[in-house]
Amino acid sequence: MKSLWENYFSKSRTDPIKLALESVPIFYDLTTSQIKEITRLVHRRTYKKGEAVFKKNAPGEGMYIIISGEIKIKDPKSKMIFATLSKNNFFGEMALLDEEPRSAIAEASEPSTLIGFFRPDLMTLVSRFPELGNKILINLSKVLAERLRESNKILMEKSD
Amino acid sequence: MDPLLKIYRLFLTLVVLVLLWIIIPFISPILIILILSFIFTSIFLPSVDGLERRIKSRALSVLFIIGSTIFLIIWFLGVFMTNFSIQIKDFSVKLRQQEFANILNLLTEKLKSITPDFLLNLVPDSAEIINSIQNSLSSLLQNILGLVSATGNILFIIIMTLIFTIIVLVEYYNFKKSIVKFIPNKYFEIGLRLIYNVEKQVSKYLQGQLLAASTVAILSILGLLILNKTGANITLVIFIGIIAGFANLIPMIGPFVGMVPAILIAIMNNIGNEYALSHQVLGNVPSPFFIIDIILMFIIVQQIDNNFVTPLVVGESTGLHPLIVMISLLIGGIVMGPMGMLFAVPAAGVLKVIIQELNFIYQNSHLI
Repeated sequence: MKSLWENYFSKSRTDPIKLALESVPIFYDLTTSQIKEITRLVHRRTYKKGEAVFKKNAPGEGMYIIISGEIKIKDPKSKMIFATLSKNNFFGEMALLDEEPRSAIAEASEPSTLIGFFRPDLMTLVSRFPELGNKILINLSKVLAERLRESNKILMEKSD
Repeated sequence: MDPLLKIYRLFLTLVVLVLLWIIIPFISPILIILILSFIFTSIFLPSVDGLERRIKSRALSVLFIIGSTIFLIIWFLGVFMTNFSIQIKDFSVKLRQQEFANILNLLTEKLKSITPDFLLNLVPDSAEIINSIQNSLSSLLQNILGLVSATGNILFIIIMTLIFTIIVLVEYYNFKKSIVKFIPNKYFEIGLRLIYNVEKQVSKYLQGQLLAASTVAILSILGLLILNKTGANITLVIFIGIIAGFANLIPMIGPFVGMVPAILIAIMNNIGNEYALSHQVLGNVPSPFFIIDIILMFIIVQQIDNNFVTPLVVGESTGLHPLIVMISLLIGGIVMGPMGMLFAVPAAGVLKVIIQELNFIYQNSHLI
């Protein structure tokens, strides 16, 4: 009986993909069925230590959410590290909106498992489930607006 | 690169090609089923997605779309065959009447009088024509029966294609995910891009073709109705229009195929009609049975399609060079007959998109 309960009810609560999706602001305020729909679309990928998730100037296709492990975002030439990201962090979200080349390299600094959510998948959601697609686009805009506000703040502080 | 490695790779490519050459005849029905399922999936996917959005059930959406398409095809074929057999029956009754022989006699005499002497042998006797028409009519029915018995294999391919298409449509996004799973990390994003772009272009291309075919069908129906207003007396207008639309999918040859049923029916219906026999077009060009009118009408429809509709809906992205179109038509015709000709150009379009994307990957390979 317990296994049946686990199979039907508990599993979704402990599903790492679902948990990771719920922790990302881009997927806030979504219903359980909407999260389930996204779970069906996203791609789970594993990376070895030192393996690149994407390289600088490569055409960007989408964003990644970290389920486990650690990813470093850095400049390939100067080796300068811009960010070190861990569980439930996300990166590359700008590629969901445009096809601009990646501005830095993302590399696994330890064995990592990521979820990839890509522009074609977002477009599929927008055409198949417009309500869900719109929610994601609004959340994505909020995230980018927040980033812009932060950048403005830093610029203002520097100019002062 | 090490020259030995080069030779090894060349040898390996040759072995793979020879193996493919040997294997392909055995797996060609499977290949045909897969290609057809892929084409139909691309055609139906947007409507299935659209319906799923409304009724929230993918399986039901697929069943509804496929079910209604099958129903429409069966209804079309049923009504067409019934009407066509009535038409043939009427025609054979007319053939037996002496009046027809007289008209044909008159027509051959007219033709002989305007034909130069050295071409006189080419004009057949009216009796000869009647004989050959009667023979071909009786053999037509036998041919249709023969065709039905030979369609066992085709029936198998149709049923399997139907099952494959339904499964792929229902499980489309899961299938895509399973394929993506096998792409190595290094090529992951570029692989996704390839799949997405091929999918998008193919879908756009096929839907564009279907839209162009529908436009040709509607324009042909309108054209035939206008001709009927001037007394052309053409029946089965809707069916002729739909056949012309579908024939239009085969470039270069299609438009002529579309004209044939219209001309045949115009001749069948107007036997014994003096007005149709002496009809003239553009003032003084003789157009017995409205044949020249019909040809002109189809040429106008074709020009509208080629210059306005196709560039708009199919777009330039998958536009193929006329030479490539001809070569693919020839290959399709040789390999699979008329069906091959129908699918040769979409297949060449798909291949072009894949080559374009592979070229993009090759040029950006330093970024991977």
